[in-house]
Amino acid sequence: MNTATGFIKALESGTKHIVLKRFTLRYPEEKLKFVGDGYQFDPKKGVGIAGTRGRHILFHDKCTGCQLCAIACEGIAEAITMVKVDEQWKQNKKSIMPQIDYGKCVFCGLCVDACPFYALYMTNDYELSSFTKSHLIYTPSQLAVKPKYDGEVEIKIGSRGAYHG
Amino acid sequence: MTSLEEKIDEAKRLSLQITKETDDDRLMTLSVGPQHPGSGHFRFTIKLDGDYIVFVDPDPGYVHRGHEKMCEYRNHFQNIPHLERPVIHDSCNITYAYSLAVEDLVGITVPRRGQFIRALASELSRLSYTLYWLAIYGIFLGHSTMFMWPAGDRELLIDLLERLSGARVTNAFNIPGGVRNDIPYNFKEKCLAQVNYFEKRLKEYDNIFYNNPLVRQRTEGVGILTKEDAIKLGVTGSVLRASGVPFDVRKVEPYDVYNEIDFNVQYMKTCDSFARAYVPVLDMRESCHIIRQLLDKMPESGDVREKLQFNIKSSPGETYKRVESGRGALGYHVVSDGTPKPYRVKASVGSFRNLLALPFLLTGSKLGDMPAIYWSLNYWPVEADR
Ligand code: SF4
Ligand code: SF4
Repeated sequence: MNTATGFIKALESGTKHIVLKRFTLRYPEEKLKFVGDGYQFDPKKGVGIAGTRGRHILFHDKCTGCQLCAIACEGIAEAITMVKVDEQWKQNKKSIMPQIDYGKCVFCGLCVDACPFYALYMTNDYELSSFTKSHLIYTPSQLAVKPKYDGEVEIKIGSRGAYHG
Repeated sequence: MTSLEEKIDEAKRLSLQITKETDDDRLMTLSVGPQHPGSGHFRFTIKLDGDYIVFVDPDPGYVHRGHEKMCEYRNHFQNIPHLERPVIHDSCNITYAYSLAVEDLVGITVPRRGQFIRALASELSRLSYTLYWLAIYGIFLGHSTMFMWPAGDRELLIDLLERLSGARVTNAFNIPGGVRNDIPYNFKEKCLAQVNYFEKRLKEYDNIFYNNPLVRQRTEGVGILTKEDAIKLGVTGSVLRASGVPFDVRKVEPYDVYNEIDFNVQYMKTCDSFARAYVPVLDMRESCHIIRQLLDKMPESGDVREKLQFNIKSSPGETYKRVESGRGALGYHVVSDGTPKPYRVKASVGSFRNLLALPFLLTGSKLGDMPAIYWSLNYWPVEADR
């Protein structure tokens, strides 16, 4: 190919994009739609269920305070500490539940794989930024809240290129 | 062209001479990195005689120090999240190699569907890594469109990885025993559509970048690494293939399902920076082809994971397993003494091996050619750290 055709082709492939759709996701206004409600794990079958690995959710009525999640995280990020809670549950004699420090957590989800009682899952909530470090520490009662997430945008491929819509 | 031995002798002579005459004001010392945007988290010092580079001293080790030692204090599952850190874009390939090694020590085979899914994840991961690398190569040649396009199109693949594994880059998806979860509903159709579209985009890359006369002038005939030199230096991956050696671990030592997949090893014979920059694109086309076959041949149902105990004890022994990563052969040597934690883990990564070629390619070239040569090595700076 000679130099002139090379330049013309390069210019043409760039200018073509003026009429094509824009691929950019306009983030806070638009949010991606995820599969399911977040990563979960089925200890009976021994496999996970696909989903986004965001902030955890803790079911207080199922957690037995067995600490297996904290042991799993020990060698990873040491994000989980077991803390006393004021609630009385009959499956949780010691009244301890995990508290997660999101300043340390790497969202690997191996604590979810470790929980044998279906008590710890992950959710679609990934917007965890805060102004102070202490706000990144989520207590068991904060972890029990189901987050609201309403992402609706997906990648679509049309005749004018790929776009988020 | 001088042979490798002559170049080594020349480099030795120069380094001796330079250490003797440090106050020779004819030579200028230039420190590239670690904060310099042109090097990544990596530093090398070069000495310049006018416009020509006469001496190069690469100095890796600024980020993931103590990475291998950390493995000795964690069990095989806990090792997964931190092993994938050095190249987060290519995390599935790194964990793939480690998982293969642990599975060999424990003595299990992964269910067939699991093998397909993890091969699929690592192909997606390879594509996403190569695009990121290409974006950086583009911007350092001063071509900002080539930064925007791959960085944007990478979203197509990251989106697939996110659906599959739940995380965008640090996937922690391949673990000893298989994969973490089965593919979600509707994944096959999505994957096929996005990969096909991505393959079409690769043609546009050719038009705007690789066939662009300016890019050609800056890369063709620059930084020649002959076949003999490449073999002697022990480079790997696309750098080796660009020097005319058709070597790919997926073909030479097929692991898991790769012996059932039909693909070609792409290589070029021109041995210059252009070849090193273009072979990864040929590889990406091959990867798209592989992904389609994997989706097609994947069993409809079945287990994806062999459940292992969290604190699995492996039998004493050692093993070495390697896979083809985005940067070439990537292997883990795992020694076990029968406890849940490995006794020793040693990684052999493409980046470190390709880095060895850097002094030989840069010595004698012009400073202006430095970015074209340095990034063509398909080298990820932090991966060379130990
Ligand atoms: S997701 Fe990983 S890092 Fe985070 S708390 Fe669970 S085990 Fe620890
Ligand atoms: S969340 Fe699960 S693993 Fe953690 S203490 Fe409760 S029951 Fe045990």
